[in-house]
Amino acid sequence: MKTDADITKIVISGDDFQKFREYFYRKTGISFEPSKRYFVDKRLVERIEMTESGNFRTYFTMLRFQASGEELQQLTNIMTVNETYFLREEYQFQCLVDSMLPDIANRKIDNSPIRIWCIPSSSGEEPYTVAMYLLERWAGINRWDVEIISSDIDTGILKKARVGCYSARAVQHVPATWLAKYFTRTGDNFQICEELRQAVEFTRVNLSELADTRPYRNFDVIFCRNLLIYFDDVSRKAAAETFYDVLKPGGYICLGHSESMSRISSLYNVRKFPEAIVYQRPLEAR
Amino acid sequence: MALVKMHITESAAQDEGKETLEWPVLLAALEDDNPTIRRRSARELVNCQNCAAALVDRLKRERDLSVREVIFTTLTRLGDSTAVAGLVDCLRSEDPAVRNEAIDAMKQLPENMASIMKGLLQDRDPDIRIFAVNVLESLRHPNVESWLIEVIETDAHVNVCATAVDLLSEVGTQAALNPLARLKARFADEPYVQFAADLALRRIHED
Repeated sequence: MKTDADITKIVISGDDFQKFREYFYRKTGISFEPSKRYFVDKRLVERIEMTESGNFRTYFTMLRFQASGEELQQLTNIMTVNETYFLREEYQFQCLVDSMLPDIANRKIDNSPIRIWCIPSSSGEEPYTVAMYLLERWAGINRWDVEIISSDIDTGILKKARVGCYSARAVQHVPATWLAKYFTRTGDNFQICEELRQAVEFTRVNLSELADTRPYRNFDVIFCRNLLIYFDDVSRKAAAETFYDVLKPGGYICLGHSESMSRISSLYNVRKFPEAIVYQRPLEAR
Repeated sequence: MALVKMHITESAAQDEGKETLEWPVLLAALEDDNPTIRRRSARELVNCQNCAAALVDRLKRERDLSVREVIFTTLTRLGDSTAVAGLVDCLRSEDPAVRNEAIDAMKQLPENMASIMKGLLQDRDPDIRIFAVNVLESLRHPNVESWLIEVIETDAHVNVCATAVDLLSEVGTQAALNPLARLKARFADEPYVQFAADLALRRIHED
């Protein structure tokens, strides 16, 4: 077994870091500032060890030219923090109720429900956050019906989402009044209330499967945060094109804070709202 | 008004009519007046093995950017020789957006591009040779460095060589050292080539 001392023999130079940083940004849109040097170096050394590349140069060559792109995927996975909790990146929910929904409501010409799609659903923290935000922070809920659909490829995680039981850590950012109103304490955990469980439809969807996404149309808002960074370039672009037809003209899509639609597809307009930058399907054909 | 539960299958049934997935119908839909129909058709044809020619043909005439983008993605995913030939044709387009989309698509097709890269790098048009080097920028193929070395050793056009040497500063190894020195000698009066070659040499020496 290798010790920490063995591992630290692999050195990532300043030039290596710069080369990697430029490349990783081009491939994923994720930019590591020099302050993240330790974080990046540690993970690079880990992958150099795991792949038995021996040094940065050999590893970087393999990373760039490996036909399957598998190593880039592995590296991307460990370079991103896959964590979810209620009110994560809350500014986007503020943007939803203060900017996106008022705009959508203004443009509506009928009384059909407003549709919101969360993908990936993960264990449900995001769609339930959307539901609470609408009930607590958007006066328009008294005027409009809203449908929330939450989808994931993982049926196990969907089951957990439907149950709606969360750790104290997952709810740590939920205001006390919301916690009291929408959750019941069950030992160390927090059970989400029946009203919210009934408000969200959970479905299994593989975003890369045409047959899975075909029924999803006429949505007003999509939350797709921290998913596309795990896709290869072609799949990412195909997903953006799928979302384009999922959305109504003028509909919005929210990506994770490190993701940029502008680097994936030119189909969308960038909308800079006071609370967040989001992407909009143009109202008119282009 | 309130939160209401939606059943997605109902939504599908309410959509604008039944969709058919038969290839002749999808191919005909590529010519529909409605860009939404053309876009969906182009996406669904990704599962049709002999439809690249129809997609390439539509691409040449397509004016709607959203449909065009989906056709490019479908051609990339099909990746057969007809699709690749269609992408290569796009490099000669007068529209820079079409050229850039074609370059992006080609970057995703390392094996298919490998078989035609030598020809592209020897094209009569220096712009096409520059675009070919642009494709190499993200092409996942072990021959990338040797193709770039061949460019800086043989290409007479300074802009083609400058584009290649920029990329060599990222991917170059010891094998590129002598060719870079010869490039400097060949373009001794070109300050940018001197600068870019020196940068590449420095980076390779640091490795």
